[in-house]
Amino acid sequence: MTFGDVLIQQVINGVSLGAIYSLLALGFTMVYGIIELINFAHFNVFMVGSFLAMYILEALGLNGQNVILTGFPLVGVLAVALVGTMLLSGALGVLIERTALRPLRGVPGTAAMITTIGVSYILFNLVLLTIGADAFNFPNPMPKVRWGEAGVVLQLREVLVWIVAFLLMAGLNYFVRHTKMGKAMQATAQDQEAARMMGVEVDRVVMITFFLGSALAGAAGLVFGLYYNYTNFAIGYTAGLRAFTAAVLGGIGNIPGAMIGGVIIGLIESLGGQLLEVRWTDVIIFSVLVLVLVFRPSGLFGRAAVTKS
Amino acid sequence: MTSIRRRLLLATALGAGVSLAIAGLGGPTPAQGAEKSVTIGIDLPLTGADAEGATRIKYGAEMAIDEANAKGGVAGYKLDMMTLNDATASAGQYDPAQAATNAKKFVSDPNVVAAIGPEMSGAGKAMAPILSAGDLAIITPSSTNPDITDPKFAGQFRPAGKAIYFRTVTTDAYQGPNMANYMRDTLKMKSVYILDDSGAYGVGIANAYEGQAKKIGVKVLGHDQLNPKEADYTTALTKIKALNPDAVYYGGVAGAGVKFVKQSYDVMPKTIKAGGDGVFGPEYLSAVGFPAAEGLYATNASPHVTEDPAAQEWVKRYSERYKVQPDDYAITAYDAALVIIDSIKRVAASGKPVNHSNVRDAIQSAKVKTLQGEVSFDENGDINSRVVSVFQIKHNPKYPVDDIIHQYKYIGVAPQSPAS
Amino acid sequence: MVSPGTRTWSIGEALAAPFRRLSSDQQRWLILTLLAIAAVVFPLIDRNEGDIDAAANATAFAVLALGLNIVVGLAGLLDLGYAAFFAIGAYFYGVTSSWQFHPEWSSFWEPFRWLGVVVHYHANGEDVVHFTLSFWIAMPLAALVAAFFGVLFGAPTLRLRGDYLAIVTLGFGEIVPIVVRNWPTLTNGAMGLNGVQAPSLFGYSFGVTSSPYYYLGVGLIALLIFVSSRLKDSRVGRAWMAIREDEIAAGAMGVNRVKLKLLAFAVGAGFAGATGTFYVAKLQTATPDMFMFPVSVMILVMIVLGGMGSVYGVVLAAVILQLLQSWFLQDLSGWMHVLGRAVGNEWMQQIDLTQSIELIFGIILVLMMLYRRQGLIPATRATRALTLEQQTALPSRGTIDVDLRVVAPSELKPGTAMLEVEKLVKAFGGITAVKEVDLRVEPGSIVALIGPNGSGKTTLFNLITGMNAPDRGRISLLGEDITGVPSHLIVERGIARTFQNLRLFNNMTVLENILVGQHSRTKTGAVGAVLHTQTMLAEERETREHALEIVGIFGNRLMPRLNQVAKELSYANRRRLEIARALASRPKILLLDEPTAGMNPAETLELAEQIKSLRRMGLTVFLIEHKLNVVNELADKILVLDHGEKIAEGTAEQVHAKPEVLEAYLGRKVAHA
Repeated sequence: MTFGDVLIQQVINGVSLGAIYSLLALGFTMVYGIIELINFAHFNVFMVGSFLAMYILEALGLNGQNVILTGFPLVGVLAVALVGTMLLSGALGVLIERTALRPLRGVPGTAAMITTIGVSYILFNLVLLTIGADAFNFPNPMPKVRWGEAGVVLQLREVLVWIVAFLLMAGLNYFVRHTKMGKAMQATAQDQEAARMMGVEVDRVVMITFFLGSALAGAAGLVFGLYYNYTNFAIGYTAGLRAFTAAVLGGIGNIPGAMIGGVIIGLIESLGGQLLEVRWTDVIIFSVLVLVLVFRPSGLFGRAAVTKS
Repeated sequence: MTSIRRRLLLATALGAGVSLAIAGLGGPTPAQGAEKSVTIGIDLPLTGADAEGATRIKYGAEMAIDEANAKGGVAGYKLDMMTLNDATASAGQYDPAQAATNAKKFVSDPNVVAAIGPEMSGAGKAMAPILSAGDLAIITPSSTNPDITDPKFAGQFRPAGKAIYFRTVTTDAYQGPNMANYMRDTLKMKSVYILDDSGAYGVGIANAYEGQAKKIGVKVLGHDQLNPKEADYTTALTKIKALNPDAVYYGGVAGAGVKFVKQSYDVMPKTIKAGGDGVFGPEYLSAVGFPAAEGLYATNASPHVTEDPAAQEWVKRYSERYKVQPDDYAITAYDAALVIIDSIKRVAASGKPVNHSNVRDAIQSAKVKTLQGEVSFDENGDINSRVVSVFQIKHNPKYPVDDIIHQYKYIGVAPQSPAS
Repeated sequence: MVSPGTRTWSIGEALAAPFRRLSSDQQRWLILTLLAIAAVVFPLIDRNEGDIDAAANATAFAVLALGLNIVVGLAGLLDLGYAAFFAIGAYFYGVTSSWQFHPEWSSFWEPFRWLGVVVHYHANGEDVVHFTLSFWIAMPLAALVAAFFGVLFGAPTLRLRGDYLAIVTLGFGEIVPIVVRNWPTLTNGAMGLNGVQAPSLFGYSFGVTSSPYYYLGVGLIALLIFVSSRLKDSRVGRAWMAIREDEIAAGAMGVNRVKLKLLAFAVGAGFAGATGTFYVAKLQTATPDMFMFPVSVMILVMIVLGGMGSVYGVVLAAVILQLLQSWFLQDLSGWMHVLGRAVGNEWMQQIDLTQSIELIFGIILVLMMLYRRQGLIPATRATRALTLEQQTALPSRGTIDVDLRVVAPSELKPGTAMLEVEKLVKAFGGITAVKEVDLRVEPGSIVALIGPNGSGKTTLFNLITGMNAPDRGRISLLGEDITGVPSHLIVERGIARTFQNLRLFNNMTVLENILVGQHSRTKTGAVGAVLHTQTMLAEERETREHALEIVGIFGNRLMPRLNQVAKELSYANRRRLEIARALASRPKILLLDEPTAGMNPAETLELAEQIKSLRRMGLTVFLIEHKLNVVNELADKILVLDHGEKIAEGTAEQVHAKPEVLEAYLGRKVAHA
């Protein structure tokens, strides 16, 4: 491979990686945008979602990478898995909101965020205690299609990730901008009290926000499993920190910002690893996080609401 | 007084009472019948990231102990197990502080005559000085960091002088370099890229491998670190692919190893992939699957056992009893228990009291036939046989996918010195 | 007192009776003494090394919890990366007192050897330097090094909001172990340090026995409880709590937020650094995995469980959780196994409850946040309800004897304004909130600022008090330029203010609120607070006396409520408290932003009287008001602001006659109707 080839390959890697981070960042940034809550539990809902997806696919008869489908059966199976995972993850999100977060709605300060740390721990450990620490071979019916061989290689799974991430983002954007509930969500994001006085059922809006955010996390879990053919109880952690940085970079609360932030973080990871060493990736990403928060807290596209007057 | 104060006083009294009670009782004492018994301590990271492997080790040791008890004990002594977990929640894996606490528990219990463990060298470093002070021997089935038994560090790890850290595996001082020799001579490797998983074991063995590779004229194209918590290694793998090495050597355990093997199959299916005993395990078969796992080289820091008919039968017994496949370390743990059992027998036979000091001496002079051949230790506690065995994964469809005995094919010994 | 004969005593009551006769202070001392005795005697009762070792570990985590309590509990800065300082302290000692560095011996090292910091090691054919910094020197040094990093990591977070601050600290908390892992020459990376030296006292090395470490740990806890308590109940502690309650108000009361936040980070980090040294000396090794995010979370769980800000609560919680992890769960699992064998249940025989400790942490966090946010031992003690007499007492107006040390009019050059504003301009984005405003406030006068909502009155106040910097123009106090001076220094110069929407320190008592008001007039720092120097004690005495005098201005409104937390007061009392707090800083001019908002007519008149009496003491008052009757009665001069511009100025009659004023309030059509 020529150096040019390597660079192009790393760019492709970075953008695919970024698509996954974007997907994970989408739900997170949406929740923050509407109720200004940093939800640590989001990333373990993602992990639970990938297990749910795994069980759904196994129930549909898939096993490892041994059963390959194409055409309608493939689309059908994936659609069923996607919808099922999103519904179940969304339900989990609503459960979390109802039990752990709604009672804290008016409390100022970081109480709610601390609670999400607790919920995150609970999810993580429940999975660890019941399912165990093993890595699992994720059932994947997609054929192994690739373009290019010795030089730059593009794989079908990468295209899949981009398509799914983009569709979900577009769908979410449309929902928030053009539907009545979406407008209610925007109103709640701007001013909860005022929205309530205009007849918006804030409780319902928050519930739907959590449902959507968690459903997106679950979708990200399915996509993750299909992409890596792998899942285990710990995937929430690092993917979470990267997605979090992506959300902050793009402007927390901003939906297209999350996509762009994700791609940038993915590129930092791949190009940074190529040009420096992979071992420093974490330090680089954390430094980006700290620098953005300190010098430009509203990120690239977000609203400036982070510092005090 | 105020109600809060009253509640606080009550809570303190209650708490103090309960804690003193439990502390004083110190957990249930096993039923001491009329028979004599001794205790073997087991220290393993039974929760957290290394839980699966540690549990398999525990089962290995347990099987030997239960078998001995079933035959009426050892020289009339019933064998009890004191199993302690050296992982903590905050570490998420083994915790040297907890290992040290466990070592103190062993040392302060006069019934404990020997111990098995730890799994991880980081725990071993914390335990060794304490065990030395207490003259209690421990046999580790899997800790391969050479420092702990190195005479250079004797002042730190065995201040009382006598060896107390014994191993039924050899150390990375041999495992890494021997494989480098093998890969150059037998696999005709001329260039290599080295990866480790940033853990104590992985870094040690990868560095040892690198040192030897350079010494024998193999071109080392780079040495980078994989983060076990990260999911995606395509960046590193793409970079390595561009450098086009003959082989990639991975020092580390399954956390990063599984993903490495899986993903490198996508990126560079034709490159030779090899690792230490950290890539010898059922996870590489079940989580990676075929064809991705095919062709992976792994070493064992002990003589090969898989072709021995006695071992096949043992494997069947183990998997029927515990419902999981045993791995390499389960075997060495079983062997460690056999050594202890044999030592107890010899101490009892010589008429000396069966206590930790005498058992330690007996272990030092042990020559025991085990699944991995005859086990004996040198004056530092290292196992005498420094054989490093090489295996390669070759899919055998007649057996279950995660059957390590049949999917890892033994292909030879990694030589201690290079061919030229 | 239960009189015998009216009912029978239960055994519990009988036993507790002598205890109840003691005063609450004596009760407290008794409990503490009993606990101290139990702690000292414990290793002698339970001779199991493992148990003592676990207890020694528990002491380390208790100290960590105390340190984080200062940062999170007192100062309100949610630090999610606290384990980084623990690591820094640990590796500082680890590197200076182990085999990590062993350069070749040369004469360069001779003076160090003479000092005892290194040892010349020649055996086994080696001739090297062995670093052996004494543990007792290393511990305070490590605390200082960690404190330095506390300041370094805290500095970028100073202007961030709570949750963002948490994330940045989390980032630093992650970066430190990664750096440690990737710097093997310094730290031996993932493989961990070898042979860290055990402490030795008078030639006796602690070695590997646990008891000396346990006692050292207990001593550390006692020392740091002492330091924490002293800090909490001092000027510094109150300033921290003020920052936690309302940062902006704290700044307006003279608290230098930057300095105090950095101090909190430094002190908290220092505690962790010292503990790191202790922990690694005990373990004689250190690996980067010992200091990752879950450790930070565990300490956070300890202070959430114990009560944020509560010194004893936090220690109790730390001990409970550590012992839960190392004793109870293991023993409980053992009991379950026995029970399982007896009952024949397979699952019970296999269960290992220690696996669930992290799950328990998560559950504790959620449950405590939902149901008992104040923790096991709340930091603020519940106060006694007022007696019936006190509640139904007729309000009395206060007497004015307070010496506010204002500048007497005769000292001034004639013609000097107390406050002068020239051509002040402030724009926010596209909106110009204050447009070329000029005004003068003469000493000893009461000036009122009126105008419709949104006309820029509060913004003007914010500019004068340094909370925002003006774009153009000049502000001067008694002739001295104060444009752009930050809010905490404005107070020192002599301007104090209240807020339109009340910014009290809600979880602090009335007395504490007023004491914070005096922050700029006092100067005891952390050292004085801990050592209880004569200056500090004198200062505390004076400030309390002054506070009582000020409270006296409001008659018996606030006096019986000195120990009640501010959020429990009635609305009108809260307004009064804010004024009292502002007065505490001995200002020359008092800026009141709608002081009577929300009060009923009787309360309004009462307050108006009290303001008039302030003027009699020589205080200058500049107030924003909507109630025109108050304005007319009090004000010597009225200024009218509309859309950021001054549209009228003069006495009440002059101003009310102006058509622009009517128009501003009532609209053009009506004004010219």
